[in-house]
Parts: sequence; structure tokens; C-alpha cells
Amino acid sequence: MKDFFTVNMPLKIIALGLAVITWIYVNGEVLK
Amino acid sequence: MGMNFLQLWSIMKPICEILILWWVFYRILLFFQGTRAFQVLKGITYLAIMFLVAQLLGLHTLNWLLMQFFAISILAMVILFQQELRQGLARLGRGHFFNLFLEESDLLAGIQEISDAAFKLSDKKTGALIAIERETKLTMYVESGVQIDAIVSSELTQAVFKHESPIHDGGVVLCGQRLAAAACLFPLTDNQNLSKIIGTRHRAALGLTEHTDAVVVLVSEETGEVSVACDGKFIPVTGIERLQHILKDLLIVHSKVKK
Repeated sequence: MKDFFTVNMPLKIIALGLAVITWIYVNGEVLK
Repeated sequence: MGMNFLQLWSIMKPICEILILWWVFYRILLFFQGTRAFQVLKGITYLAIMFLVAQLLGLHTLNWLLMQFFAISILAMVILFQQELRQGLARLGRGHFFNLFLEESDLLAGIQEISDAAFKLSDKKTGALIAIERETKLTMYVESGVQIDAIVSSELTQAVFKHESPIHDGGVVLCGQRLAAAACLFPLTDNQNLSKIIGTRHRAALGLTEHTDAVVVLVSEETGEVSVACDGKFIPVTGIERLQHILKDLLIVHSKVKK
């Protein structure tokens, strides 16, 4: 579990950002 | 009670969706990390952010332009990164079952012979390039060389790399316990950060490990140094035991799970 927060953190944050953006976009536009 | 569950689900649903999306994006980024496709992926991420901002602010012209650009760039990506995409899909489909098909004792015997050969060649300062197949099939590279298909032995490997041997140029490919081919051509790395003095053999070792998941044992002709290449990186080797330990780790234990 400790590894989860130390390994590849920048990549994990970028991936989270992309996931949130995609979710907002799809829910806002396509599923309106 | 039913209502409570539905309410809970309506809260949990977006979280679940975002978590799944996050995991998928993370695996994609991890897969492309360190390759030239990663730079492109970073560029696309910036464009995606711009697209979202344009959407939120209602900038229709910018939005339209980005939309058109995205449509073209998807097609361009498929063409430009054909190889990476093919490898990615192959990796997804194959899983981590390669060592179930090979007997551990076969692999151990192969490791012993290769390690012995590497250090004997190193003593004579004879260059060698030995690729060991893991999940990704090296058939393409086997076909580029001279087919041998013999049980690997230290003597055979040394004979192949002897200067007088007509098949000493290029690399050998090892599939399980069999030495599949010699004089095989491997792709050269296009890593720009490498020192200019690094030779073609080292570049080929790195290139192959960037394109496939193979493990490469390498003996330098100039210094007689033995090293192992894996995932586009060199692992220095100090002695025969250390080489055997590294190979066992990479081929049998295969505990190198990306976190």
C-alpha cells in the first residue's frame, strides 16, 4: 500500500486528471 | 432498504466509473512510458485539457478546430504507432503465462549454459549478443538469421560467436532450452540520451528490449564486460553467479510486475 503512493505518482495523477476530464465531458455532452 | 441501496449506488456509480477510467488511463500511460509514443500522448493530454477549457468557456471556434484536429490525429496515431499498438494488443491478449509452457528445469539448464558461455567469451574478449524469448515471440528476428534449432550449450554458443564463424555477426535467439537461430538482426534503439560511443551491439540489445519483452545477455568486444538488457535498460553483471541470479529472476520468477 505504501508503494501505491510512491511509485509513479506523476503518472497516476495525470491518469486521474484524464479520467475526471473524460467523465465530466462524457456526462456533460453525450449523456445530456 | 431498496431505496437506500439505489441512493448509495447513484453516489458510488460516478466514483466507480472514474476509478475504472483512471486505471485504464494509468495502464495506457505506463505502457507507453519511456517510448517515443509517450511524448505524443503527453501532447494529446494537453490538447484534451485545452479542449475541455474551450468547451467550458464556450469558445466555439477553438472547439471546432480542436475537434477537427482530434479526428485527424486519431488516424495519424494509428498509422504512426502501428508497431506499438500491435505490441500492446499482443501483450494484453497474452497475459503472463509464458513460463507455464516451459519446464523450469529446461530454463535453468539454459541459464547455466548461457552464463557459462558469456563469461568464457568475456575472458577472450569476444563480443556476444544473446536474446532470450519471454512472452513476445521473437519469430520475426529468428527468421532474419540462420536457423539452428539445437539444444543450447555453452560450447555451441561460444562456437557461434568465434571470430572465424560465418554466423558470429548479429545475435542468437534462445527459445526455452533451444538455440533457435544465429546471426539475427535486432532493431537498434533510437534512444537519443545514449552516449555516442556506445556500439551497435549495445544499441541492438537495447533496441530489442524496447520493442519486445526479451532479455538480452551481452558481452562487450572492447572491454569483455558482461551485461543484461531488459526493458530498454542495462543491468551490469559482476560475476557468473550474479548473471545466473538475474536471469533466474527475470525468466523464472518473473516478479517484475509493474506497480
